[in-house]
Amino acid sequence: MTTNHSQAVRPLRPPISMNWIGAVPFMLFALLFLILPTFHIVVGAFRTPDGSLTLVNLQGLAAPNIMSAAWLSMKLSLLTALLGCVTGLLLAMAITRGGLPSWFRDATLTFSGVASNFAGVPLAFAFIATLGRLGLLTVVLRDWFGVNLYGTGFNLISFTGLTLTYLYFQVPLMLLIITPALDGLKREWKEAAESLGASGAQYWRMVALPVLWPSLLGTFALLFANAFGAVATAMALTGSSLSIVPIILFAQIRGDVLQDPHLGYAIAFGMIVVTGIANLVYIVLRSRAERWQK
Amino acid sequence: MKHTTKKYIGAAMAAALMLTTALPAISYAGAMEDLEAAAKKEGMLTTIALPHDWCGYGDVIAGFKAKYPEITVNELNPDAGSADELEAIRANKDNTGPQAPDVIDVGLAFGPQSKGEKLIQPYKVATWAEIPDNVKDADGFWYGDYYGVMALGVNTDIIKTMPADWADLLKPEYANSFALTGDPRASNQAILAIMSAGMARGAEPGQTSGEKGLEFFAELNKAGNFVPVSGKSGTIAQGQTPIVAAWDYNLLAWRDGLKGNPPMEVIIPSGSSLAGVYVQAISAFAPHPNAAKLWMEYLYSDEGQIGWLKGYCHPARFNAMVAAGKVPQELLDKLPPAEAYNKAVFPSVEQQGANKKAVTEGWDKVVGAEVMK
Amino acid sequence: MSAAKLWSWIAFIFGFLFFFLPLIGTFEFSLRARRGVYSFDAYSNVLSDPQFRETFTYSVVMALFTIVLGVLIVAPTAFWVRLKLPKLRPVVEFITLLPLVIPPIVIVFGYIRLYNTSSYLPLTGTAFGTNILMMCGYATLALPYMYRAVDTGLRTIDVGTLTEAAQSLGAGWTTIITRLILPNVLVAVLSGAFLTFAIVIGEYVFAALLNRPAFGPYMVWMGGNRAYEPAALAVIAFTITWACMALIQLATRFSKHTRAQR
Repeated sequence: MTTNHSQAVRPLRPPISMNWIGAVPFMLFALLFLILPTFHIVVGAFRTPDGSLTLVNLQGLAAPNIMSAAWLSMKLSLLTALLGCVTGLLLAMAITRGGLPSWFRDATLTFSGVASNFAGVPLAFAFIATLGRLGLLTVVLRDWFGVNLYGTGFNLISFTGLTLTYLYFQVPLMLLIITPALDGLKREWKEAAESLGASGAQYWRMVALPVLWPSLLGTFALLFANAFGAVATAMALTGSSLSIVPIILFAQIRGDVLQDPHLGYAIAFGMIVVTGIANLVYIVLRSRAERWQK
Repeated sequence: MKHTTKKYIGAAMAAALMLTTALPAISYAGAMEDLEAAAKKEGMLTTIALPHDWCGYGDVIAGFKAKYPEITVNELNPDAGSADELEAIRANKDNTGPQAPDVIDVGLAFGPQSKGEKLIQPYKVATWAEIPDNVKDADGFWYGDYYGVMALGVNTDIIKTMPADWADLLKPEYANSFALTGDPRASNQAILAIMSAGMARGAEPGQTSGEKGLEFFAELNKAGNFVPVSGKSGTIAQGQTPIVAAWDYNLLAWRDGLKGNPPMEVIIPSGSSLAGVYVQAISAFAPHPNAAKLWMEYLYSDEGQIGWLKGYCHPARFNAMVAAGKVPQELLDKLPPAEAYNKAVFPSVEQQGANKKAVTEGWDKVVGAEVMK
Repeated sequence: MSAAKLWSWIAFIFGFLFFFLPLIGTFEFSLRARRGVYSFDAYSNVLSDPQFRETFTYSVVMALFTIVLGVLIVAPTAFWVRLKLPKLRPVVEFITLLPLVIPPIVIVFGYIRLYNTSSYLPLTGTAFGTNILMMCGYATLALPYMYRAVDTGLRTIDVGTLTEAAQSLGAGWTTIITRLILPNVLVAVLSGAFLTFAIVIGEYVFAALLNRPAFGPYMVWMGGNRAYEPAALAVIAFTITWACMALIQLATRFSKHTRAQR
């Protein structure tokens, strides 16, 4: 290990190797329970049942049902990320600089912390209880306002309904991340812009938005990855027959519904690629955004 | 001298005859005790896909536990479909842990499939002779356990006009109302619902019923009446799936469970009546084979069969037991009306297999690709 | 009122409605168990269900073990990396971000394929082994939050100087970690712990695919098989999540007070 051959000068205990031992438990844990399983899946996507390398599994991803599920997942994730970004930004602007009472901000941020963790099974139940056929809102709209919600073609178990449900945890996540970024918009910049004669809109277009842009785009990518991988909410809302990618993978793992065991590996690999790219975009843009926050 | 010899021979023959008929019973009783002892030594039975309100399995399992308290019953995934059960056996071939199922209860079409894949082992219960021949495998690999007819369950708080048959479901008033009970690629109940729809369109049971059924569902989906949710009592009551196609015994059990809040009606389609048989089998890799065999003996005993009857199912030994007067009249009265069963069609194993192939391979192409709008 | 303020109020009211109506709706739905009358029947049905108690206890116990495992893995590592291996920090941080990138369903798929009975580490062979596997899986899911919490806590105390001072007074490593570092990051650890608790209680994918009797699959099963009890379960779950967050807030505020006293 050490290239120092002189016996007399060698220190009693080489400090480097002892220190590395301290990181071993963590590394071992991460290796066994995070890195190896993922690696196994990635490798499995390129293998046939008898162990040789192949691209057949990935080609199997081009099947129409998987492609349409992937498209549906993409649409859902893109739309909820976009709506989540816009709505979250508007709400964050309202509580930080909208002139609302100051305690609104703390209360909203606390609630956002809870709501962003409320995803999953209970969220589906909550939306069924509110916007389902017999939900409170549906009944109230019917009895108090004479509006037949389901008569208009709305259904909770549809793209629109699922988008609404996903927004419940996307918007708070956006709020939590963008509020510090909004705080970073220094007051002096607005004052400087006004003193140079810029209107509110011009300030936003030429100063604030360009500064916020990396944060916005980065959080968009994060929200996208968040929605793409979400499975519990959709499963609790629809059971395993909805064609989005995580549910197809779930049904494949459970019951081999696609009748091709190695296709599961390919689907999982596809998911990793999509969420990996999205998170990479987020990390890169976040480090760019942090330049302004120093 | 000749008379007495004849008498002695006659008596000896009579005694021998009695002994030969009594011997199997004696040896059976001995075998049963050995089985019980071996099963108790194993101490556990792992079942899968047995919801407690399906054919009264809750009480059936409780009865087994009460009879053999030394055997723990480990119940896996009650919502599993038939394909999920086979996958559970495949995935746990070398596994002797509690994830490996000992016994499976799958749709008729899945019996030959699991035999072909060598996933199950043969066993003939004591009452084997009383199980009708057309619902059991001659070699004893799988054996029919109960049957019912396909029906429609309706939440009458939401749906005001009852559909009388499959064709009614295409009407616009049933928008976003109808659901199957599971994934048509995995759940036998869903596959046979599609068969029933195909038969309502005049197809013969088999491949054509599968194809016509898929066409019907494609139309249903295009009309906007199909909801891609797994329908069950909860989703019927909460309103996501006000109409569900399921076995009559399930719908009746769910109706009882909801206790009128909301009220539910069970309608057997007026056109054609499809009867579906389920089969029991023991996994070839069962970690507790003796407990599995004991479980089978219990299910096919009078006690087990009556337990299923209480869950509105017609057990396999139904005809033999009714003829022998073993079924109490009150239970017979509670069953769904007999006319539906008299004209019910019992598809053969081959017909079910052809239908299953058409549905599982065709669903994604014909319907599945556009299920979500 | 200026235009900006008006729009802010409108935005806030819309946001308020969107986030509170589902909560009210869920509560109202859960009261409908008895036909025509509002009652708490759904709640009493849920709380008296033996399966609820079994699965809830299982998940709570699993959460506690996960928290202990998480703290044992994260806290010493974060401390050691900060003190002795600063070059390793980016690597460790990248690893702790991986569970946010890789969808949990892929991770558990990897577990099923890698740790079945025909592998070197046959964890899924027994119930106990599967429980251990799930605990490690949960600790992996909670890794990003736990690490970020502890790391933030360590950032506020000057680890290097404290350790040197303790060592010059003759303290060994165990004393340093248990009597010096842990008490100072206790608040950070607690907030990581509560977040882990909230995650584990509602988790579905791991428990469903590993076939363990946890609270998540129980809730999904209830959703399909009961009419009004799922809404009651959602209210209970939301209350628990809220309680966890409130405890985190309380812990942070408590620490601010102790800081001020110095």
